[in-house]
Order: sequence, then structure tokens, then C-alpha cells
Amino acid sequence: MLKFAKCLSVAAIVAAALTGTATAQQDFPNKPMQLMVAFPAGGSTDIAARVVASIAEKAVGQPIVVVNRGGAGGQIGWTELVRQKPDGYYIGFINLPATNTVILDPERRAIFNEKDFTPIINQVLDPGVIWVRADSPYKTVQDLIDAAKKSPGTIRAATTGILSDDHLAILMTEEAAPGAKFRIVHLDGGATQFKEIMGGNVDVAFDNVGSIVKRVLSGEVRALTVLDDVRSKFMPNVPTSKEAGYPTVISSSTRGIAGPKGMPAPLVAKLQGVLKKAMEDPEHVKKLEDQGIAIKIMIGDEYEKYFAETHAKAKKYTEWAKNRPM
Amino acid sequence: MDTLTHLMAGLSAALSLQNFAFALIGCVLGTLIGVLPGLGPAAGTAILIPLTFKLDPTGALIMLSAIYYGAMYGGTITSVLINVPGEAASVVTCIDGHQMAKQGRGGTALGIAAIGSFVGGIFATFALVIVAPPLAQVALKFGPPEFFALMLVGLCLITGLGGRSLLAGLVMAVLGLLIAMIGIDPVRGAPRFTLGIPSLYDGLGFIPVVMGLFGVAEILLAVQQPHRQVIKTDLASLIPSREEWRRSIGAIGRGTGIGFFLGLIPGVGSIIPTFVAYVFEKRLSKTPERFGNGAIEGVAAPESANNAYANAAMIPLLTLGIPSSPTIAVLMGAFIINGLTPGPFLFQERPDLVWAVIASFFLGNILLLVLNLPFVGLWARILHLPYQYVCVGTLTFCIIGAYSLQQNVFDIYVMIACGVIGYGMRKIDMPIAPLVLGLILGPFLEKSLRTSLEMSAGDFSIFFTRPLCLVLLVLAAVVLVASALRLPPREIREASAG
Amino acid sequence: MPNGRNAAKRGWQIACLCLLAIFVPALVTSLGYSLIDALGPGPGFFPFWLSLIGAVLSAVMLAQTTLAKTNEGMEISLPDRRGAVQALGMLVALTAAAALFEPLGYRLTMLPFIAALLVVLGARSPVAIALTALAGSFGVFYVFYHWLKVPLPVGVLGL
Repeated sequence: MLKFAKCLSVAAIVAAALTGTATAQQDFPNKPMQLMVAFPAGGSTDIAARVVASIAEKAVGQPIVVVNRGGAGGQIGWTELVRQKPDGYYIGFINLPATNTVILDPERRAIFNEKDFTPIINQVLDPGVIWVRADSPYKTVQDLIDAAKKSPGTIRAATTGILSDDHLAILMTEEAAPGAKFRIVHLDGGATQFKEIMGGNVDVAFDNVGSIVKRVLSGEVRALTVLDDVRSKFMPNVPTSKEAGYPTVISSSTRGIAGPKGMPAPLVAKLQGVLKKAMEDPEHVKKLEDQGIAIKIMIGDEYEKYFAETHAKAKKYTEWAKNRPM
Repeated sequence: MDTLTHLMAGLSAALSLQNFAFALIGCVLGTLIGVLPGLGPAAGTAILIPLTFKLDPTGALIMLSAIYYGAMYGGTITSVLINVPGEAASVVTCIDGHQMAKQGRGGTALGIAAIGSFVGGIFATFALVIVAPPLAQVALKFGPPEFFALMLVGLCLITGLGGRSLLAGLVMAVLGLLIAMIGIDPVRGAPRFTLGIPSLYDGLGFIPVVMGLFGVAEILLAVQQPHRQVIKTDLASLIPSREEWRRSIGAIGRGTGIGFFLGLIPGVGSIIPTFVAYVFEKRLSKTPERFGNGAIEGVAAPESANNAYANAAMIPLLTLGIPSSPTIAVLMGAFIINGLTPGPFLFQERPDLVWAVIASFFLGNILLLVLNLPFVGLWARILHLPYQYVCVGTLTFCIIGAYSLQQNVFDIYVMIACGVIGYGMRKIDMPIAPLVLGLILGPFLEKSLRTSLEMSAGDFSIFFTRPLCLVLLVLAAVVLVASALRLPPREIREASAG
Repeated sequence: MPNGRNAAKRGWQIACLCLLAIFVPALVTSLGYSLIDALGPGPGFFPFWLSLIGAVLSAVMLAQTTLAKTNEGMEISLPDRRGAVQALGMLVALTAAAALFEPLGYRLTMLPFIAALLVVLGARSPVAIALTALAGSFGVFYVFYHWLKVPLPVGVLGL
């Protein structure tokens, strides 16, 4: 009798939990949502986040507040993201491969790993680009590499952060062009990079298309190559690394939305629907493309696969970066 | 060049009813943002970016710029009245501004701050119009080594803040530098001194620390007095005395110069010019002991520097497309979202827009003066409320401010702890300002040193082979020696000569 | 009750000891971070030198204070009993408010906080206290949350 009662109560609890969650999902969201950006306000991730938030919040009927949690190259923001409840009210942007390198670098002592996220949908895939000042002696990427081989360790190459996608791109370049060696200078962000290049304190910059496209088009700077296998539609005159003879140097900064692990599948599906629609909205497309940010929507298996591939690639180069002499 | 023509065109555009309204709204919002806790200019500006989607670009940029330099003024109000900096750059104004308020001259302090800010802003804008591009090019020469040397100059000035005990000032500065190291190492990514607490990964927040050391400590000190006297501010004392005017004029001039030049250098940030102006003024004064006890120059100099900096910092943005600070980076984001990339080409492509925005700076500075001066007396009256309400109001203010930065309760605890520490320090007369300066300069120093070494592949000679850097290092040495020798006041020298 | 002069000297000594208690562990910890490696100064470089200099200077300051014969100008005023109780009460209230901030939410925490603090500090009029407490909790919340979009915590009770 007691056993039966116990079973019944367990069943009742489970049923309640299930229906409870189901109702919670049906009227999700019923209070404001927070969309976290792991970088300070004004950067590319932040701008794109605000655009998608302002469109999506109309569809869900609740405010979607963009919350900036900058610091430590994103580690602060992602640390906070993984500690939130997987109820869909707090989601945030993950940046691949930055998120991956934070996990993979033992010195960072990240409290999370790749399993602690529920990837929801990817928004942007911003290919890497190598650029120099307009009056630089390097006219093509081959010029640059030849110079790096001739005087290894003297050409100052700037990244936007240690173990950023730019940093890994430099290593990929060195790998693809044996004998070429750069003197790597880590700056913090595209704005500082631009300043130091224009001031002549560094010789070449590795960054992403979205950050520099306007200045390339206006002629202030020269882009040597785009690190992709197809040309960027925003800079159609710039050859790809593949065309330049370095097909293995493919690098990009990919930004998408994720939640903490354990988000129920129906909730994820709902969010995917809403966000996908917002990203396909003509206003969103226009605003991002006006700035040269390439949209690449990925959901489900495609996104998971991309995540895993990026993680594996990042692992290889992170290890190399840690062991590379100066 | 037809700069004048452009400026005239810009002025007429800025004075259009619509743009005028935007400038006005921006000034009001900016002042409010500066006053309200937890809503720094960067965050406040960022929140308002979506608004600009609906406005035309010129109007949007005018408004956002007005918010930006309006916030510089708003922060002063709370610094003077309740010793809580409304935004980081107003920290220095607390030192003498609040003392003036306690002496019943809060209105005067706010007034001189408004006037000083006005002068600083107008001068910087004039300079922007006349000499912008060549100056900006020079500023570009400031690479990481020069930056390091500049920060070193700032550090050597600390000895001017030590108050009675030079040794205590030095120890506090070192402590500040050390505390600044808490968090993830900016160059290598390794956590330092974080004790396993994730909230410490980004270090101790500057605002909670300063709110605690200044604001909360002030309250703790205030409740001690068993009979709290109500501060009387009569209207006549709102106007500075002739003596005060005399002293302020020089301070405003020097503060403006310092703020302007530092504003041209990208990356300096808004707090450093105010500190430099303050210390410089104190060093030049024949009666430096007045500083920290309500010297009007101690308000006039940093405030002028503040606004001169804010307006000058737009120069690298507009002429070269380089943002000088995180707040300006947000402004740049606003430009970009509206389809405009700031830089030399924007000047050529859309001169109408750029000059309208520049003209609106003139307008904005005037508006700020007109908006704020009349209210100075009103603000000062807040201190007339029974002290319980002022205390509780301040504490509420501080709690919100500390929390809203990162929505983290940890910051409130930090503030409370710093409040206790600040109280203790004030009790035994241990100087707080060097600690704060160390906290500010620490990250800059370390970052620029290590980046310089990355540039030179570990070769320290980079600091001596670059001419500008060498000049700055010599300057740092001069400042240090001059401070250490503590040149005696003129009267003593004259007396011993005679 | 120690007089003003003695208290000042003790105060400085305690302060110096606290400083040493910060600098010395920092020195030890920074040795654990690499000081110099192939890539230049490591994470431990600056902290090591700073804590060393700081420790030495604090020790000198401690010696200076202890050995000083006269303490002119080193008066400190200690709070009287009522002042001390008020200050302590304030700290307790602040800490409690911080602890309850997220569980109870902004409004429910600040309402009693403001009211209690006003009373402790000696405010009299119940109407003024009530109004201030309401304005400071519910009023401020409304402005910040709905107008300024600054998220202030909402607790488990939905407030």
C-alpha cells in the first residue's frame, strides 16, 4: 500500500514537473530576457547583438536587454553565462574560436568547457583579413610572406587579443609558409590596432573583414588577402588566401547565441525560430551588411558540427601558441 | 581653406530647430546620466543607440555627443554634494569640492565647475576647428613606449598628493598599483590574485572601490558627530569672491591646456587629465596646504581639464577615426551603425554632417552652462535636508551604483569593505588619492610596458631610442626630482636670502 | 580609553601591519606566477616588484611610527558611543541589504533598509520615513527598470 502510494506520488511529481515545464515553455517569455555580450559596448559583436535584439523583442513581446559583460577577452561574460539557469531568460553570444581558446588554454583556468553551453543559433561569420597601411611596401600577401622569410622575427604583426582568431591566423600562416616568422604584438581590439598601424608602430594587422572593410573601400588601408575560400562580397577585389596559394589558412570570427547547458529541446527550438526570423528580417540584413558584417545563420547539427571543428582546430594552434618561442 | 565657410554652414545646421532640440535633449540626458549612479556615459550612450535608428544621422550624432560631454558635468554634482563620483572622471573633484560643500560653499563649487567646464569645452572645440588634423598626426606618434613613459610621469606626480607624509603617499600608490593587478593578466590571460572567485576575474571594479573609499566612508564619518549642524548656504556665497576668481582663472587656464593635450592622445582616459591638472595646480600653488580643505582651484582645474579632454578627445575620432576611450568607442559604434565611418574620408564625403556635429559642440557647451548654472543653488540646497535623509539617500545611491555596473552583488560588498577601509584611512590621515591614482595607472603601465617589449622582441632599449619616449622619460625624472626636493615656498627662500 | 595621541600612533601601527599582511602574501603568491620567460616579463613580474617595494616601505613606516618620540599633529577623534552605534548599525544594515538584495529583490530589500536606517539615525516623522522608503524602493525601481532599462534584481517573491 505504502509502495503504491509512493509510486503514485512520484508519478504525480513527475507529471507536475513535466506539465509545469511545458506551461513555462508555452508562455515563454513572460518577463524580459537578457542577451549577454562578452565584450564592451560599441564593438562588432555588441552592435550586431543590439540590432537582432531590437527586432526579436517585437516578435516575443518582451524586452530583450543587451547586457555587456566585457573583460578578460570574453572569459568574464562566458563564465557568467554558464552559471545561469537554462530557462531561456538569459542567453548570450559566444565567439568562436575565442570561446574555444579560453577553454583550451590551461593558464586561463576557465571554469567551463565546451559541454557547458547549449548552442542555439549562429549569426555572423566574419572572415579574417590581413591588412596594412595604404603606403606600406607590401602590395600582396606574398610580398609580406617573402619579407617574413627574409628577416624572420622582425615584422611586427598585430592581433586584437591573445589567442584570438587573429593570433591563430598568424600561426596558420607561419605553418603554411615554412621559414616565415612574425613578431607578434597583442593589442586590445580593432581600434587600437588601427591606431598603431597608422602610427607606424606595427607593420601588419590580422583582423576581420567587418572591422576594416570601410577603410579598405575608402583607400585608407590596403587589404592583402581574405582568409577564406571565397571572396568577400564586401571587398570583391581582394584575393583570398586560397587564390594566393595558401589554401590552408582559413580563419574567421564566428558569433552566435548560446545558453547554459541543459536547455530543454522545445525551448531551444522556440528560440531558434524567433531568432532566425529576426536575423532574416530585411532590416537586420541591411544594418549588418551596411557595415560589412557577413551573416551566416547556422542552427542545430550544422552549428554543433562547426563548433566541434573549430574547437579541434583551436586546440592544435593553442598548443602551438603556448610553446612558440618569441 | 574654407574652414570658416564650413563652420558657418555647420552652425546654421546645428541651430535648426530639430538639431537644437536634439542638442538640448542630449545635454539634459547627459547631465542626468552623470548624476545617476551606475549609469556611466558608456552604458548610457549605448542604451540610446537604438533610438538613433529612427533619427536622421546628423541629429542622432548631435544628441549622442551632447550626452557624452553632458555626462562629464553631471558627475560633478554628486562629487561635490555627497562625495560620491557620479562617474569615474569626477573622482578628483570630490577632494576639494566636497570640502567646499561642507563649508557651505557647495554652490560656489558647482558654479566654478560649470564655468571651468564651459571654458575648457569651448577652447577645445575652437582648437578642434583650427588645428585638428596636424595635431592629431602628432598624437599618432604615441605608441606603447611613449604611453608607458607618459604614465610614468603621472606616477611621479603622485608624490604631490602625499599630503603630510611622503612615505605614506608612496606606499598607498604602490598598494593601488598592486590592487590593479587583481584579475586576469591582460597580456597572458592568467588569473592573478583572484582567490578562485569568478567575480574577481576582471579585478576590483573601480567604481565600487571609489564609491566606498569616498562616499560610504564620508557617511560613516558624518554620523559620528553627535550634533549635526545644518550647513547654511546663503545666496550671496554662491558667487565666488574676488580672491577666488583670481585663483580660479589661472587654474581654469592650466586645466584646459592639460585636458586638451591629453585628450589628443588616444587611450589616456578621462580620469588621468583630471588628476594631472589637480596635482599640477597644487604644485604651483604657494599655499598647497589649502588643497584637500576646500581650495577652489582644486575644483576649477580638474573640471576644466575634464571638459577640455572630453571635447578634445573627439579630434582623433573625427580626423582619424580613432576612438580615445571606451565611451568614444561607443560613439563611434553609433556613427558606424548609421552607416558612417569616422575618419579623414568622412570629412571629405560628408562635410555637412561633420561640421554640423562640430558646430553643435559649441552649442552644447553653451547649453550646458545655461542649463546648469541656475540650478546650482537648487542642487546645493539638497544638503539642507536633515542629515538622516542625505545619508540614506547617498547610501541608496551608492548601492544602486555599485550593483548596476555588472548586476553583481559582489560589487556591493566591495564597496562596503572599501567604505570601512576609507573610514579608517581618513581617521588616521592616511592619504587616499595616491591609492586611487595607483589603481588607475596600474593597468596602463603594465600593459604598455609589455606591449612595448612585444614590439621590440624583449629589447628594453626601445624606450631610449624613440625620441618622444626619451623626452617623456626625462620629464618623469625631472618631476620626480623636483617633488623629492620639495622646493620650499618663495617666502622662505626670500627670507633666507635676505 | 586611549587618548587621541596614543590612538593615532596605534592606528598607524595597525595600518602598517595590515599593509604588511597584504604585501607579504602578495610577494609569495607572485613568485608562483612566472616572472620572466621566453616571451618577456611574465604575469608575476610587476606584482613581485610592487609587493617587494611595498613591503619594504611599510616596514620602514612601521619603524618610523614606533620610534617617533613626539606625535604632533597626529590627533584622531574617536567616536562617542552613540556615533559608534550608529555607524555600526549602518554597516550591519548595508551588509544585510547586500545579502538580501538578490533573494528578496530590490524593492523588498530597500524598503525596510531605508526605513530602518532612517530610524536608527534619528529621523522622527513616520510620514516622511514611510514616503522616503517607498520612493527609494518602489519609486526608484520603477524609474530604473522601466525607463532606464537598468536591471535591478527581482526576488523570489516576484518583487
